[in-house]
Amino acid sequence: MKKRTVKLSVAEQKQHNLEIIYKLLPILSFLILIGVWLLAASVENARFPSPTAVWERYLLLCEKPIKKIGLLGHVLTSLRRVFIAFAIAWSSGIAFGILTGWNKKMGAVLNPIFNAVRAVPPLAWIPLITIMFGTGEGPKILVVFIGAFMPVVVNTQAGMSNIKQLYLNVGTIFNANKYQRLFQIAIPSALDAIFAGLRTSVSSGWMVVLAAEMLGAKAGVGFLITRGMESGDQALVLISMICIGLVGALLAIVMQIMEGVICPWTRKK
Amino acid sequence: MDQKKIKLSIKNISHGYIVNDDVFQAASNISLDVYDNEFLVILGPGHCGKTVLLNIISGLEEAEVGQKEIDGQPFKGSDKRIGMVFQELALMPWKTVMANTEFGPQMAGMSKQQRRKIAQKYIDLVGLHGFEKSYPNKLSGGMKQRVGIARAYTNEPEILLMDEPFGQLDAQTRYAMEEEIQRIWQQEKRTIIFVTNNIEEAIYLGDRIVLLSKCPAQIKEIYDVNLPRPRDSVSPEFLGLRKQISDNTDLPL
Repeated sequence: MKKRTVKLSVAEQKQHNLEIIYKLLPILSFLILIGVWLLAASVENARFPSPTAVWERYLLLCEKPIKKIGLLGHVLTSLRRVFIAFAIAWSSGIAFGILTGWNKKMGAVLNPIFNAVRAVPPLAWIPLITIMFGTGEGPKILVVFIGAFMPVVVNTQAGMSNIKQLYLNVGTIFNANKYQRLFQIAIPSALDAIFAGLRTSVSSGWMVVLAAEMLGAKAGVGFLITRGMESGDQALVLISMICIGLVGALLAIVMQIMEGVICPWTRKK
Repeated sequence: MDQKKIKLSIKNISHGYIVNDDVFQAASNISLDVYDNEFLVILGPGHCGKTVLLNIISGLEEAEVGQKEIDGQPFKGSDKRIGMVFQELALMPWKTVMANTEFGPQMAGMSKQQRRKIAQKYIDLVGLHGFEKSYPNKLSGGMKQRVGIARAYTNEPEILLMDEPFGQLDAQTRYAMEEEIQRIWQQEKRTIIFVTNNIEEAIYLGDRIVLLSKCPAQIKEIYDVNLPRPRDSVSPEFLGLRKQISDNTDLPL
């Protein structure tokens, strides 16, 4: 068989080169980041550990885990807390948002209270909750719940009160009753707003759990990073930070996949 | 002419809105009889209250003054016997072509098997066989409006309202869809009330053309179009009628 070589036009060649450049640029930015890290470490060695030092600290951490829990164990402890909080915050938040967004009277009664409570950032709840309930698992989950509940409610409400009149008109023309209007038209059309709320709740919940753990916990990534700080172990702090970043990014990806599965019509062409 | 059965009739419809503390009269004393299985076109300049009139017939809006009757029986609000094809397509993006099409019977509580059968019939009729599982965002403008037509038909209405259904399509697709709607109507006869601001479209499709005046809308003239179908849009009769209507049309504001 004769192999045919396709000759690209100049424009196509240019396009092809550009695509390669766009693929290489992100790698380059990571290399620059590591370069800056190395530079910073060589200048300020006492306060800033080099990548190799961090790697060695990681290997040591695997050998001698802190509190007999491996790195993965700490991550899972934190994740367990957020997932329990998400389960409660999502189900109650979506229900509350639908109720107050769809039913104008309910909204008028409940929204002022909700907005007043929402004005208090979730972290400001930690002292009160600690005084009342101590520093056990329950109080931590409660703090994360507060952080995750608010964005779910806000977005669900916005989605439910901004349903396109056109879709409701279709419901009128085809004689949909009020339950059908709610479940067949209103809720599905608000799903992308609801998902926006869930995404925000994931990032906010992950942030809050770390803060809660930093203020008093016996396990979790938040605990790990505080332990690093208290013992002047910068390498451990950096390992925790990288871990937190990776898990946060991973959670965002999981949410994206979940949205694609539940709302297939939002997938890009 | 006289033995034609009157399907829908509206009597003395007037309707206005309050805009900036002023009453804006949209329709003024409109009375109209629509015959059974007739293709009636309501033609008028832009923003002249055509949509308002259709919304009143469909029950999306309640007229301030006037009555409406089907088969001589007065009715109010939306009615199962009236279907509608919307101007802005109004397909639900979260539903597949099949789910959009079977929406009407689903709302009426028909069993899945039964409503799928009816929906399939009309999906095939509008030429969308094979696209049942597609979401609307994967369809072209013309295909979306075919779904809109299939959805209206699947609810098996006696009267079909169409509010400038092809207004958002490009010219080429628009011609094709005008032919399509004529074919579908000839195959599945219904009483159709078709609103447009396009004179050629009106003459191409209508058995009768109701010409509305500018705001507040009143009936200016009713034309009988006695040209054989499919109509030739460059025949002398067609062009003559076109000029006649065009000369009689008010300029839009």
